[in-house]
Amino acid sequence: MLQRRTFLLSGLALPALSRPGAAADPIKIGMTQPLTGAVAASGTYVANGARIALDVLNREGGVLGRPIQLVLEDNKSNPREAVASVEKLVLSDKVPVLIGAWSSTFTLAIMPKLLEYKVPMVVETSSAARITTSGNPYVFRIAPTSEMEALAFAEQLGKFNPPIRKIDFLSVNNDFGRGAAEKFAAALAAKGIATGRTETMTPEATDLAAQLTALKQSDADTVFITSGVEQTTLALRQAVEQRLNKRMVTTGGAFPDQLVANPLPAGRSSYHILFFAPWFSERAPYAPIARTFTEEWTKRGWDFGGMTEGYRGYDAMLTVKEAIRLAGKPEAEAIRQALWQVKIPGINGDIAFVKEGPAGQESGQNRPNVTIVQLSEGKTSLL
Amino acid sequence: MSNAPWAFVAALAAVPVLVPNPYVLAVLTLAGIFVIGAISLNLLLGYTGQLSLGHGAFFGLGAYASALTSLGFDIGIGFGLRLRVDPQPVWLGFLMAILVACAFGWMLGRLAFRVRGAYFVIITICFAQVLRMVALNWVELTQGPMALISIPPVSLWLPGLGVVPLVTKAQTYWLVLAVGVLAFLLVRQLVESRIGRALIALRSNEALARSVGIPVTHYLVVAAVVSAGIAGAAGSLFAHYMGIVDPDVFMFIYTVTMVIMVVTGGKGTLWGPVVGGLIFGLIPDLLRGRAAPELQWVIYGVAMILFVMFLPRGIVPGVQSLLRRRA
Amino acid sequence: MDQALQHLVNGTVLGGTYALLGIGLTLVFGVMRVVNFTHGEFYAFGAYITYGLIVLGGVNYFLALPLATLAGVALGALLEVALLRPMRKADIDSVMLVMIGAMLAMQNLEMFAWGGVAKLTPNPFDGSPLVFGPVSVLPLRLFVLVVSVLMLLGFWLALERSRAGMAMRATFQDPETAALMGVRVGWVNTATFALGSGLAAASGALLGPVFMTSPTMGDLVGLKAFAIVILGGLGSLPGATLGGFALGFVEEFAGGYLSTEYRDTFGFLLIIAVLVLRPQGLVPARERIG
Repeated sequence: MLQRRTFLLSGLALPALSRPGAAADPIKIGMTQPLTGAVAASGTYVANGARIALDVLNREGGVLGRPIQLVLEDNKSNPREAVASVEKLVLSDKVPVLIGAWSSTFTLAIMPKLLEYKVPMVVETSSAARITTSGNPYVFRIAPTSEMEALAFAEQLGKFNPPIRKIDFLSVNNDFGRGAAEKFAAALAAKGIATGRTETMTPEATDLAAQLTALKQSDADTVFITSGVEQTTLALRQAVEQRLNKRMVTTGGAFPDQLVANPLPAGRSSYHILFFAPWFSERAPYAPIARTFTEEWTKRGWDFGGMTEGYRGYDAMLTVKEAIRLAGKPEAEAIRQALWQVKIPGINGDIAFVKEGPAGQESGQNRPNVTIVQLSEGKTSLL
Repeated sequence: MSNAPWAFVAALAAVPVLVPNPYVLAVLTLAGIFVIGAISLNLLLGYTGQLSLGHGAFFGLGAYASALTSLGFDIGIGFGLRLRVDPQPVWLGFLMAILVACAFGWMLGRLAFRVRGAYFVIITICFAQVLRMVALNWVELTQGPMALISIPPVSLWLPGLGVVPLVTKAQTYWLVLAVGVLAFLLVRQLVESRIGRALIALRSNEALARSVGIPVTHYLVVAAVVSAGIAGAAGSLFAHYMGIVDPDVFMFIYTVTMVIMVVTGGKGTLWGPVVGGLIFGLIPDLLRGRAAPELQWVIYGVAMILFVMFLPRGIVPGVQSLLRRRA
Repeated sequence: MDQALQHLVNGTVLGGTYALLGIGLTLVFGVMRVVNFTHGEFYAFGAYITYGLIVLGGVNYFLALPLATLAGVALGALLEVALLRPMRKADIDSVMLVMIGAMLAMQNLEMFAWGGVAKLTPNPFDGSPLVFGPVSVLPLRLFVLVVSVLMLLGFWLALERSRAGMAMRATFQDPETAALMGVRVGWVNTATFALGSGLAAASGALLGPVFMTSPTMGDLVGLKAFAIVILGGLGSLPGATLGGFALGFVEEFAGGYLSTEYRDTFGFLLIIAVLVLRPQGLVPARERIG
């Protein structure tokens, strides 16, 4: 409840504190995230990251001499409501720029509306390749695609001892899981690593015994797990029960926070590909930025592990604020053009967009960094 | 019925001119698509007394059929053969949506009317779930969870303009309104026909209806087919309005939305789904920003309970009997 | 072969939990003719109460179990008196809608109170599996299976042997006649719904440490419970038990040998097949319904 009150205070009270006159009208940034429904946990983390950025940015004086206002809407974990939320943000609140929408499905649902209303959106999480390759010039993604994640991971293969020789996949049956399995298989095949079995699970499945037992029949030494935090945690725990004694690597940047308080049995460890590792914020590419974020998050008493996803909202806000500053005015087309000029340090590293997709209507794509964290008996360490 | 219904339609048609606010039109359009779904569900739930909690399946089938026809597809159909369909005009997709939904409506009607009551409810839930699984996993056809994207907007032949895509908010709104009026008239025609009287006889006393020689199953299947076809049309409008279709279109909450529209408005009355549909289609958008997101859902749920408990026959019959008592 | 044995064990463990989920739902339907959409939410409620008692209250798991069950019973009784009793004369779909409304409200109140982040209830047993030759199983899962079977047996005995059980069975068969014979049907209904909710809460409490506790955990469980009940025959207690194990085995073996993508589909296809070929379910209730 605390978080909601803080949000209101920063959104409404700050404009009154800043300099008087017309210039004090806040500049609106629209955000659509899943705050209820199946994936509410992650959406709330990202929204919280944005709330922190809002406070920090307004403390520094906002943008263009005006305070920033974050208009947050719930997309209720469903594509129809994702569209409804964007229509409210753009048509009723008249926000000139958007951040959203966590899952690739929600983002894809919104994309035709961006073309219709000519409003740019910074995509903070979705991993599906075709978000940036379908020729929508209003999309700017700071999250990595599955392919980028896989290629970056392949560069760090040497850190594993014993080395990875053959891999299996346990993937959630959606674009996120299927995309990761495909791209990791390709990236590792290029390094001479063969793929064994690929098992899938529906997003809401909780009993994964059948899949894990099937994976035992493969002679691979490493299993890549791709799903939301909750299902990843279930898979890691149930693998112990099914005696699936392989190296487990989770992809996608989520961290099974609950395994810190309730660790797997001694001798079991898991590996997690992350885009921000809050335990090691001093080792982040820009330590002061990561430190500010980590301190503010901890101060509010939110779940520590949530920062692995929450940083996305923070970086997205920094990106949008910079674009507004470069544009010089809070207007959609000016912000869209300015987004191409953005070049700032964020929590994950440098944020800048390169062109992707068909010529003439390219989308923007950032090149993020990845970190591999090992979790063993409730303790994290950098690999 | 007097001229009041036509005045109501005229008032709705005038909204884009009187209130040129695109947000209002967007909300009304999306609500309107679900009102059409509710009108179709009313035929089944209101006039045959069979509660279908898988009605969203027809809606979803329509959305997929329409999207696939207008995007084209190329799939293997076994024995090394391939079925290839080139992208077709949107109106053909709209017709395909109706046809496919009707076909499944006929199938479900034949199957499901062997069982009644709670069994029927649950078989319809299962039907929608199986379709969702197929949509998720038949990736070659449906793109599975990666969704069908870049679905073109509806295009129409307009006098003097030729074939034009309907892109503005007002045009889409009028299209949905037109389909809604047609669906309403179709249901009214059916209900006031011999079939409709038979259905009503059936709802009140099935044994008696059978004994006087009404071919019960036949009429129930006709109702299911027409109902499914209208829901398929609504699904097609949804696909072309959203520009994307994914397996979430089979979500339980979409069906629940339609059921609640029918029941609160008054099932078995022509105007019930329209009135209930406008109320429950607009509540979620009216609540936006007024309470915490979770509490918006709680209010929605409690509103459902209160309507059903205190107006058990629905708003339209409630208001009618109130007016009659006054008179 | 080793794989088949492991699937057999997994299927049994899964089937036991399914049976427990199905029995509360079928009881409520059999006695009250109510399709209880809040069943999954009571499951989530039980899991959250257990989590709260253990992690925030420092209560022992084995004490938290009965407490969570009692909380489920109390909330169930409250819900029955407030929502179902006034609706006794209403038709089946109005009641269903009231239950769906209650489901939406309960689920989102849970999310409001606990947040969307899934919680993990600490495992009271050793986290390493017990190994019997080629198969392995967690002590916790074994405990859950044993408690489920004991609860199913105890429940069946109470229904067959006690006076309250007799009143319940009488109402089950014919509410009007039961009322004439002096059964207070109103209270039988309250007791039935409270008991059914308590069973759901107990499953949630038992399975909290096995799976994760989240506000939407009831969605899938609700659907699964319907499947189980339909498989077994609506309103049939032995049917729900059988249906639970049948679904557990079908999912486990189909998932292990055919295709994990369609794992959950097999369950629903099985139901449609059963409904088409044998609409009364595997074990028909003593009275044909619907």
